Amino acid sequence: MLTNTALEPAGQDYVTIKGIKNGLVFKLADDVHFDKVLDALAAKLGNGSSPFSSGAKVTAFVDYGNRELTPEIQDAVEKAFLAVGEIQVKVYQEAIEDDPVPNKLLPKAPYVYKGTVRSGQMVEHDGDVIIIGNVNPGAHIVASGDIYVFGRLRGYVHAGASGNVRAIVAAAYFEPIQVRIATVIRRSPEAYAHPAEMEFAHLEGDQMAVEKMSFLQHFQTLIMSDKAVI
Amino acid sequence: MGEAIVVTSGKGGVGKTTSTANIGTALALLGKKVCLVDTDIGLRNLDVVMGLDNRIIFDIVDIATGNCRIEQALIKDKRFDQLYMIAAAQTKDKLALSTSAMQAIVHKLKMDFDYVLIDCPAGIEHGFRVAITGADQAIVVTTPEQAAVRDADRVIGLLEAEKIPPAKLIINRIRPHMVKNGEMLDIDDIISVLSLDLLGIVPDDEQVIKNANQGEPTVVKPDSKASQAYRNIARRIIGEPVPLMNLQEQSGFFKRMKKMMGLG
Repeated sequence: MLTNTALEPAGQDYVTIKGIKNGLVFKLADDVHFDKVLDALAAKLGNGSSPFSSGAKVTAFVDYGNRELTPEIQDAVEKAFLAVGEIQVKVYQEAIEDDPVPNKLLPKAPYVYKGTVRSGQMVEHDGDVIIIGNVNPGAHIVASGDIYVFGRLRGYVHAGASGNVRAIVAAAYFEPIQVRIATVIRRSPEAYAHPAEMEFAHLEGDQMAVEKMSFLQHFQTLIMSDKAVI
Repeated sequence: MGEAIVVTSGKGGVGKTTSTANIGTALALLGKKVCLVDTDIGLRNLDVVMGLDNRIIFDIVDIATGNCRIEQALIKDKRFDQLYMIAAAQTKDKLALSTSAMQAIVHKLKMDFDYVLIDCPAGIEHGFRVAITGADQAIVVTTPEQAAVRDADRVIGLLEAEKIPPAKLIINRIRPHMVKNGEMLDIDDIISVLSLDLLGIVPDDEQVIKNANQGEPTVVKPDSKASQAYRNIARRIIGEPVPLMNLQEQSGFFKRMKKMMGLG
């Protein structure tokens, strides 16, 4: 699974470090060969700005993502940390991190992805997602907000993934295999009417509706004034 | 210093091995020094398609493990002096060939050959990663079927992540009459999904199956359409601009006359 940070085409980072209350989380990419991840980890730990160079005692939580966890892999990672100093290494579990209460009043920044999202790739973001390019069959886009595709949408999309029933999915060419908004799922029809251009999907009650993009502005106004049947 | 090109597809049975054998032979026909490398450990068949299966003494795993030198594992083709191949191991484990060993082998081969064509196994696991390491370029083979196109798309994504320059596309086994009737994906549809440069299209041709069974790459015989298609692909690889071939059935003399006079 690719997270949006790993999808950056250039300067791909295999190891991302994040601070949590009781230590540091090292997220290791799970979509590349493990040797590369190990090299990247060693490089991160080795350089002078490494979080451990200050000598403070910190626990390292290692997030292996979807990679199968074998004793060899765990051993190699532990060795990489021990090369830097006496560091306690633990496997990261979601529950360790206590999420700060999300501030619902602040709009989240949209994530803009440029390029083709291919089969097996996934773009996931807390907020709106904008794709400048095609979303191919077999690709997944998951957003807690809206999804806009400036290109051909032919993959799986899930807008309002954390329950937002007002989220929409819009595309220049609207031919998704499957659209989900909040908890409502809609399969593709057997064949799309051509051209399926400039359309968006939204919820009307527990039904999903697909309309021409020219209706989008009107729809947004309805939503703002809370007149939409949702 | 030559160029290493990996031929891959994701899905099995779309014609990777046939394409590797034919493109390699066609490049040799054009006077290039070519080495074909089979990396499908355990399921080798490039040697069968080339008709060289009885000449294998050492294979690629023997080179990797230091059992022999590269020169000893090179099998010379029986038709062309400029064409060689390295067979995959049949009895050893897939993991016997590591990425670093493969890189070293490809690097050494590039010193001696103009083109090193690597036949990739199906799938996207260890074998795939080994095959693409060390490649300067990639050719993705697909057929006009949804499943093959989707697997090709997945593979292209993985190649991009490995920073191999944009792959070139070969659409194999096209049946012109089915495409015409809308029963098969058409070429423009496939290109619009995969967004790759097209290297060539190859029509479905019974001759290919017949020749493969005889251990003779189709390109050796110039009369079939598939043979012509592979020759065109080889010419595009060395940088000659060759237009795409017309796959429609040959029209009769009268039709052509009518067309010429503007009546067709």
